[in-house]
Amino acid sequence: MSALEIRKLTKAYGGLEVIAGLDLTVPEGQRRAVIGPNGAGKTTLFNLITGWLPPTSGQILLHGVPVRKGRPDLVTRSGLSRSFQKNMLLENVTVLENLRIACQAFHPSRHSILRPAASFPEVVGKARRVSEQMHLDKCLHREVKELSYGQKRQLEVAIALCAEPKILLMDEPAAGTSPGERVNLIRLINELPANLTIVLVEHDMDVVFAICDVITVLSYGKVLATGPKEAIQADAEVIEAYLGRQHA
Amino acid sequence: MQMFFLQLLNGLQLSMLIFLLAAGLTLIFGLMDILNLAHGAFFTMGAYAGWFVSKSTGSFWAALLIGPLVPFLIGALLQAAVLQPLVRRGRSTHLDLALLTFGLLFATAGTVEYFFGSSFYSIPVPAILSGHVAVLGVDYPLYRLFVIGAGLAVALVLSLVIDRTPIGAILRAGVDNREMVTALGININLVFAVVFGVGAALAGFAGVIAAPIMSVYSQMGIAIVVTTFVVVVVGGLGNLKGSFYGALFVGMTDTMAQAYLPDAELFAIYVLLVAMMIFRPQGLFGSTGRTA
Amino acid sequence: MTERLTMDATNLAGRTPRSITVLRRRSYVAVICAIALLLLPFLSGDYVLTLAIEVMIAGVFASGLNVLIGYTGLASAGHAMFYGLGGYGIGIGTAIFGWPLWVTVPATLACIALISTVVGAICTRTRGVEFLLITLAFSQMFFGAAVKLRLTNGTDGMAGIPRPDLSSLGVSADDPVVFYYYVACVAALAFVVLALIVRSPFGSVLIAIRESERRAQAMGYAVGAYKIGAFGISGVVCSLAGVLQAQYIYFINPDSMSWQSSGEGILMVIIGGTGAILGPFVGAAVFVLVKQGLSLVTGEYNLFFGIFFMLVVAFFRGGVAGTFRTLTGRWR
Repeated sequence: MSALEIRKLTKAYGGLEVIAGLDLTVPEGQRRAVIGPNGAGKTTLFNLITGWLPPTSGQILLHGVPVRKGRPDLVTRSGLSRSFQKNMLLENVTVLENLRIACQAFHPSRHSILRPAASFPEVVGKARRVSEQMHLDKCLHREVKELSYGQKRQLEVAIALCAEPKILLMDEPAAGTSPGERVNLIRLINELPANLTIVLVEHDMDVVFAICDVITVLSYGKVLATGPKEAIQADAEVIEAYLGRQHA
Repeated sequence: MQMFFLQLLNGLQLSMLIFLLAAGLTLIFGLMDILNLAHGAFFTMGAYAGWFVSKSTGSFWAALLIGPLVPFLIGALLQAAVLQPLVRRGRSTHLDLALLTFGLLFATAGTVEYFFGSSFYSIPVPAILSGHVAVLGVDYPLYRLFVIGAGLAVALVLSLVIDRTPIGAILRAGVDNREMVTALGININLVFAVVFGVGAALAGFAGVIAAPIMSVYSQMGIAIVVTTFVVVVVGGLGNLKGSFYGALFVGMTDTMAQAYLPDAELFAIYVLLVAMMIFRPQGLFGSTGRTA
Repeated sequence: MTERLTMDATNLAGRTPRSITVLRRRSYVAVICAIALLLLPFLSGDYVLTLAIEVMIAGVFASGLNVLIGYTGLASAGHAMFYGLGGYGIGIGTAIFGWPLWVTVPATLACIALISTVVGAICTRTRGVEFLLITLAFSQMFFGAAVKLRLTNGTDGMAGIPRPDLSSLGVSADDPVVFYYYVACVAALAFVVLALIVRSPFGSVLIAIRESERRAQAMGYAVGAYKIGAFGISGVVCSLAGVLQAQYIYFINPDSMSWQSSGEGILMVIIGGTGAILGPFVGAAVFVLVKQGLSLVTGEYNLFFGIFFMLVVAFFRGGVAGTFRTLTGRWR
């Protein structure tokens, strides 16, 4: 069974079809990149998969189970987690607390209303482990608004990991990062467990080629081509639509 | 049946009055993201200004013309001198400004009470508009028909201006993208001040034409402004069309309830509001996904 | 030494070592305040006592409101409706149903819990400015009902609201000193419960909702339920303040649920915002003192209050939103 299966997905705003009959299948454990020019519908696709937007028609299946529309929280609970293109962090709260709250979402203590949050060491412990995984353990007690942009991007991914997802969607994780931060990010993502399915939207082709095995190219809301990176690099249509001469 | 038509007309008249208030409020909000909780103050200001002019000149029409100028000037000044500088200083979340106008609500209520006390005043109906006319088999006061007509006329003018004129285009562009409009060389601050003034003037105009029907008194803005809020939420914040239909909806509901179910009158519009919030929280014409 | 502080820090999620010291300092402050509160009747006269009672009651109201505004980031312009309903609940229960207080108070609070949950379920479908408006509209609805209802004497209000019968303890709650201790006990209880709630996992989710509701939802939280919960809790606490107030002046009338009353609550929260749990009490203290001062100087309360309100909103640190947002993990 594939981790993510999308069948004939359509999203239309009035007459404009942002996603126009999209089919996509991602097997478990694969590292898939979704690339395409701006306006191709990549973020819309993510919003549809994660339940933020209701589709006009079509099906989205996570491990064979249809996605619940309009309930992004339930989508996360069913094993799909997402990091956002624009940082959506709890700015006035520490890094540790950000992660702790994210980890708490899957712990029965989240219903507790009178016991202190700090009295659940399992949750704190898990947050610490994720922070170590993402190399954020040195800045645990700093407030998010004090972090560098690269660190914030790392935290953005770290929070998504707290949900212990089986599928991780990352929306331009390297956007706006410096070359050094990018190398760091690539390393961190490659260190993630091999059985984690990753779908990555990225414009930075270095990041894409460093992380992903298979690339899907979107254009005008439809899949233009899917294949291993070498094939995509060589595909004439793709080159014409998007990649440009430097990668040809 | 006669009773029904009477209530229908009354409902229409109330709707138009509320529409004038809602239009101003929604215009200001749509363009500037400012929710003026003190909007009722412009209503009151217009009424008092109109009363003053009417008393001094003996002319209703002078009152109608000059009365709304007072809230126009004060509104434009408020926007240019108080609200815009605050926005520039970064106090620009909608919440900040809405709360600011909440404080303004207190201040204006206090000011009005201070200057005018708790007496009731009135503007007499002009001779031309006095008397009754037979409409739908009902003997209906001509003046109230005038109110209905005035409201519809304003609705028409507003929709024409916004949809068909260059100024309207600037307004619509400004709602969509403020910075871009500024970058096009248009003095957006002037536009904002004028629009705020116009919104205030609409409320003031409503105050003047309402004066012969309801009395002019210091609390007159408060009651009607809450109904106005219900209308803008029901119609969708920032949407002029929504304000029109929302005003019709709410005005009719209120009047019919008052006539046929007097005990439930109070709750009728709130039941409407609650139903709207349950089934369509963005209002009749609002768009989903509006952020605070 | 640093090592031990760091290890202490691991037990308190999200707290920096520096904030532990701050926390210790604040505990000392809290203890001193508690002692001062205990000894106040012996150190001062009736006037100060009445001020203290007013501050504590206002503080409970502001604390309840703060759960919604400060912690969850939902600014309600109508929470005075619960304040007033609390007082009316007592009035109706004792005067009309003839129940004793020990039945009426829990019954009132239970009713309010239900009402605030239902109202909250409706209102939390909106955000920001619409939320402000719809809460205002609801409070106007209750206000209007209170004015029109002949059962509760409309604008004349209900007099004769009873204070608790403490004769079994050998004292009378009509005595200002006794009433002071009664209010202090209730306020302290409310304070403790709220402090527990905001430090709990539930409270942390409220903060997450305030910082980024979408992110909280993406994390897997059913944010709608949490918002309704926050609304409900704040409603009940506000109604508790209303109960105390009605008992304080033996009277309740519709003005207690006016928009002016809601506005006063918002102002208290804004002023006191940066102090988290204690903040609302600080805000209440400032507010009560300013109000007393204003009433001595001028009869134009609304005007000057309005100007004061606007100045606070305009110039207070980081604006209103910024003030709310300074309720950081550090100060929890």
